[in-house]
Amino acid sequence: MIMYMDPESLKKEVERRALDKTDQEIVEKALVEGVETAWDRLEKQQPQCGFGQLGLCCNRCVMGPCRIDPFGGEPKRGVCGATADLIAARNLLDDLMVGAAAHSDHGREVLEVLMETAEGKGQGYQILDEEKLNLVAGEYDIDVKGKKKEAIARELALAMLEEFGTLKNKIQLVERAPEKTKEMWAKAGIVPRSVDREIVEAAHRIHMGVGADYINILLHALRTSLSDGWGGSMMATEASDILFGTPVPVEALANLGVLKKDEVNIVLHGHNPILSEMIVQASYDADLKKSAKKKGAKGINLVGMCCTGNELLMRHGIPLAGNELDQELAIATGAVETMVIDYQCIFPSITETAKCYHTKVISTSEKSKVPGATHIEFKPETALDSAKEIIRQAIENYPNRDANRVKIPAGPVKMVAGFSEETIRKALGGTYKPLIDAIVAGSIRGAVGIVGCNNPKIKQDYGHIMLGKELIKRDILVVETGCAAIASGKAGLLLPEAAEMAGEGLKAVCKALGVPPVLHMGSCVDCSRILMLAANIAKELNVGIEDLPLGGAAPEWYSQKAVSIGAYFVASGVYTVLGLPPKVFGSVNVLDLLANKLDGVVNAAFAVEPDPVKAADLLEAVIEKKRKGLGI
Amino acid sequence: MNSVLVRPERCIGCRHCEVACALEHSQSKTLLGMITEMPRSAPRIFVETGISFLTFPNRCQHCDPAPCMQVCPTKAIYREEETGAVLVNEEKCIACGGCAMACPFGIIQFRFQPVVDREVNTKCDFCIERQKAGNIPACVEACKTGALEFGDMNTLVRQNRKDFSLRFLKSKGPEVEAVKVPENILAFRKIMEEVANIGPFKGE
Ligand code: SF4
Ligand code: SF4
Ligand code: SF4
Repeated sequence: MIMYMDPESLKKEVERRALDKTDQEIVEKALVEGVETAWDRLEKQQPQCGFGQLGLCCNRCVMGPCRIDPFGGEPKRGVCGATADLIAARNLLDDLMVGAAAHSDHGREVLEVLMETAEGKGQGYQILDEEKLNLVAGEYDIDVKGKKKEAIARELALAMLEEFGTLKNKIQLVERAPEKTKEMWAKAGIVPRSVDREIVEAAHRIHMGVGADYINILLHALRTSLSDGWGGSMMATEASDILFGTPVPVEALANLGVLKKDEVNIVLHGHNPILSEMIVQASYDADLKKSAKKKGAKGINLVGMCCTGNELLMRHGIPLAGNELDQELAIATGAVETMVIDYQCIFPSITETAKCYHTKVISTSEKSKVPGATHIEFKPETALDSAKEIIRQAIENYPNRDANRVKIPAGPVKMVAGFSEETIRKALGGTYKPLIDAIVAGSIRGAVGIVGCNNPKIKQDYGHIMLGKELIKRDILVVETGCAAIASGKAGLLLPEAAEMAGEGLKAVCKALGVPPVLHMGSCVDCSRILMLAANIAKELNVGIEDLPLGGAAPEWYSQKAVSIGAYFVASGVYTVLGLPPKVFGSVNVLDLLANKLDGVVNAAFAVEPDPVKAADLLEAVIEKKRKGLGI
Repeated sequence: MNSVLVRPERCIGCRHCEVACALEHSQSKTLLGMITEMPRSAPRIFVETGISFLTFPNRCQHCDPAPCMQVCPTKAIYREEETGAVLVNEEKCIACGGCAMACPFGIIQFRFQPVVDREVNTKCDFCIERQKAGNIPACVEACKTGALEFGDMNTLVRQNRKDFSLRFLKSKGPEVEAVKVPENILAFRKIMEEVANIGPFKGE
């Protein structure tokens, strides 16, 4: 732990770690109180191994581990004979498939809850969006006439779950892509066959001695990513909408200031909304409210963190405490009674952080237990009971809060979220024509999806916010999900007023529609909403997604899930700029394929550019190139 | 006299040298044995991160004359004539820290040594045992990127001289040296420099 002597260097360090003022307040508090955070751990990890960063370390078998000399000398091959190209490609596929598995397994769980709800076994769940249920069921050729919604939901859940396996070897939702894009996939041999199949096959392919052709491995990586974006993730989005409602614009608040001084604060952290939806329901319970009062609290304050937070924000306007690097900061405010975790992006040390204060961590997924956490297992049939128990325990913990150690930053920021693809389309009058007209007229040059995480190697939110501002200034509409969207919420970019920061063209369009220049489209699995937005625009124009003036960016990414998202963006024809280098720079050939050759396959490629202004230049250039291609 | 020349541009911060050094100075000299030993063996070479995530493996240069040796009040530090290694007589060391103040590289550490039952100067011993057995130092052997090279200093330096001459004759600046470092690695370092500029690792 670094101890700071003088206020000057303390201030400097705080400003290096986080962009947002409210985050900075708590970064400082954590430093002063000696609470270890990811920034401290990153410092202690220096130097980080170059073989790993370059993708040249292979730790697959016990003939190894092996590494390749990045300077061209010996060793040039692993014990098995693998080259730098093969090792880097296998490592990338490894990361990507883990990310695809995380998204898809999340999707599977939502489908299972949909199934149980349809069978009347789920406690507290209902099918809220019948319109979407019928639409998606139609795509799956399910006859909806005269059937009860439960019966339709059951059939649909089964049909989708079937696509995780290999009997059918087809993912229905892939059909949503424009014809031209699908032809491109067929030509490259990357049409995904099933959700689980591609992931399992990826695991097979990275075993020693299953092929040595890095190109073949990377093509499978693209196919696996498509099975996530157009499969597992899209199913997660659709099933969540059917169960909990398709998001519509909603006003809410963001940053650590959403914690309340005199209420029981519960942070809902992770990714899957299935349990936290029930916690929201339970929080309306009059008895629970009464017992909170009995313990001296004015009420129960639910706040979201990471993508569980995004899901609840989109559908209920639950305030957002922050993104990935805020998880420790929220606890360090000293005001959190309970942090409820489901899975993904939860620091394994979160219970250690909690020990510095009165905070209790409650784990809820059988897959995601953390030493030191209380485990209240989520099961659909007892979900509401568990939710109430979780709130009860948080209330019990309220008197343990030490008021002297509490610091809640003042002034949460307003934001508007809830821009599902359906909502955007409806707001435009049922067709994308107005948006297309604006793009053709040039008042909007194009659109960029900014997605992904925080990474302590980059000042928290700096990459997201600087790139977002730079793009809207250039009349490029920004759509966001995940931690990127939360960053924009904190920074006030998700407000219609933020249109003032946009270029003249975009500003006018935003003002006419009353929307922000940066649209919050949901959680990480909701990157599928971005795909649908692109697909529907392309279809109206009778072109492929790869022809549209679009871009993607993951300025502060850290996770394997981001690798999968980046890859399905690119595989779907969307040029994508990464703010941190993927672990492939040790292989000239893999680099060349990702940065250049892919262009000839999917009309898009990857670039790496940490500097937000330069990244905006790259994205703008591609958008202009694609505009030219469309003759606009 | 043989020395170790550090080629910092080739160091990628894998810390393999640190592990090999700790292993060489452990009791069991096996990886699995080492991790259960008390006291735990520690490296005497230190890979540090400088600006822009660049790394440097810092180790004893076995100077001659050696400042540490010159200031030691008990003459605990001496030179082994055959290899030129600067070594510590643990019995005589009073852990006063004088050597650490004098060492221009800042690599002296005081660690518990069972033979004397107290903390004493536990600096790099130039792998004297290995050298006597005809082997090169453990850190050099472990480095897979050529950042640490063992041999006659004049010969090792010759490569640097040749590089300079080449640059000079081609009338090019330091970017010609880049020929030694492949393009992809240079690209990676450039990116990491940018990352450092927008994060907590921004240099002063
Ligand atoms: S798979 Fe090959 S390169 Fe990887 S550890 Fe085994 S032998 Fe080494
Ligand atoms: S310990 Fe320091 S002063 Fe002494 S020989 Fe080594 S590098 Fe030189
Ligand atoms: S083994 Fe070589 S590359 Fe690795 S840290 Fe040591 S000197 Fe640097």
